[in-house]
Amino acid sequence: MNKLHFKVGLFTAASLLLAGIFVVYLLHARGFFEKTFHLQLAAASADGVAPGVPVVFSGIEIGRVTTLGLNDDGGIIIRAEFLERNAKWLKETSTFTLDKPFVGGAKIRVDSPDLDAPALPDNSTMLLLTSDISKEIPALVERVKAILANVEHLTRKDGEINATLANVQTVTGRMTGEYGMLEGVLGSPEKARAVTDSLDKTRALITKLDAMTAKTDQWLFAQDGMAEQTRASLAQVRLMLDDAQSSLKKADALMANAVEISADVKEGTQDIVKLRAEIDDAVRKANALVNEINKKWPFARDPEVKLP
Amino acid sequence: MNFLAASIESLGAKVVGWFTVAYGMFAFLAKAGMLLLDRTTWNRATFDVVIKQVYFTAVQILHVFLAYALVISWLIITIILSTARDFGLTEFASEMTIRVLVLELLPFLTALFIALRSGSAINTEVALMQVNNELDALAHCKVPPMQFEFLPRLIGGVISVVTLAGLAGLIALLQGYLSIYGISAAGFEPYTRTIAKIFDFQIMAGLIAKCALFGLAVTLIPVTAGLETPKKLFMVPVSVLRGMMRVFFAIVAIEVVSLALKYI
Repeated sequence: MNKLHFKVGLFTAASLLLAGIFVVYLLHARGFFEKTFHLQLAAASADGVAPGVPVVFSGIEIGRVTTLGLNDDGGIIIRAEFLERNAKWLKETSTFTLDKPFVGGAKIRVDSPDLDAPALPDNSTMLLLTSDISKEIPALVERVKAILANVEHLTRKDGEINATLANVQTVTGRMTGEYGMLEGVLGSPEKARAVTDSLDKTRALITKLDAMTAKTDQWLFAQDGMAEQTRASLAQVRLMLDDAQSSLKKADALMANAVEISADVKEGTQDIVKLRAEIDDAVRKANALVNEINKKWPFARDPEVKLP
Repeated sequence: MNFLAASIESLGAKVVGWFTVAYGMFAFLAKAGMLLLDRTTWNRATFDVVIKQVYFTAVQILHVFLAYALVISWLIITIILSTARDFGLTEFASEMTIRVLVLELLPFLTALFIALRSGSAINTEVALMQVNNELDALAHCKVPPMQFEFLPRLIGGVISVVTLAGLAGLIALLQGYLSIYGISAAGFEPYTRTIAKIFDFQIMAGLIAKCALFGLAVTLIPVTAGLETPKKLFMVPVSVLRGMMRVFFAIVAIEVVSLALKYI
């Protein structure tokens, strides 16, 4: 075996193989194995558009303008080509905008807000919008001029801003004094001292209040405190109320009797005596009850129960 | 007046000299081309010499050359990337890398490499053969030097420069990818897009044509310079010196013309 020939053969084979792989890769990259997708854009003006102008989607180039031409009505038809794999970004809801930035070449921007929308068919025609910055510049300049005039007016000598700044300077100057911010706000160290004094007093007051609250708490809610006693009294009142209720029921029954009886007074004089005693008893009990309640609760100051 | 006439005369002599050299070169090239078209040239003996030439010009130095391409690419890529990062132009870094390295710098350096190593050797050899009357002897023995000495050298030079520049370019592409995206497949899509954008048919054809011209320049010029040598031994170094200067100017001229064609 010829060693020299073998080496040269190996070198040639390897180089050819690599070259072949690279060519296939390049053809793939340039979309040789894919179908091309065509799109026509109708525009009002082809200013700045030329063959080779990129069509970008989200900042990435997906296609290029191939030709420009006029249709029969004098409108401009721009034809662009896309690789099949890039055509999926073109939807029926997509908008096409011609961007002409200050720096860099013109480009056609594709915006597809809804990626679920149906895909654009091949050879379809879309409208090309124009966003020309250079046309907006005069309006922008006018507005900037107005703003600058305002700023100039505000910042003139002895203007509002200057006065405000002087005030701010005075205030911040005071703020560097012994009482800091307080002095800044109040104007002098004396006033600031008064405020700190009253703050000290308030603090003392709050300490006292704290102690009082603790005592009140003890008095109210401890074992045998006010709260406990009140609960016991209320139980008593319930008992008395029950008692009064039963007495009044009895009285009610007696009164019913009394109506019957009054028809025949003569026969029922003994009953009336009995009735009278019952009623007196009930009224006394009710009176006692009201007095008792009055002692414990600030009810109306009229303990008399009128007899019927 | 005398001085002016003398300087005009010397200028004329120089121009005539350039034209003679250029004419000699192109006449030689035309003769080689005619021979290439001749069916009798394509025999086993010529093929063997071509293989030998490819071996000596490309295969023998392959490892050295690849290491050299690796280092140069790594350096240039690192410089471009860090500069691009500093100026916030990272998105152009990959395109810049490919354009500078694969299209311009690596073919140029490959041509210089082959010129220094093989071109100078060819020039010396041909000059010595000329001085020692070996060429006449060969022709006398029915071994035409054009077919067995010069044409294989030209073919070998072209094949070597095209292949070596291509290999160096592939290494630079791979290295550029690794430097920008690291060992991950994430950057494959954008890198492919950049490559697709740069390498259209015109650029590829121009690149191959440029490399072939480089290969021709680094072999054809030394051969003709050697053939021009007067039959005196001390003229051999002068011949090599002249030949190498011409090779250098030719390489620069090819590079400049290719750049001008590409960007103007």
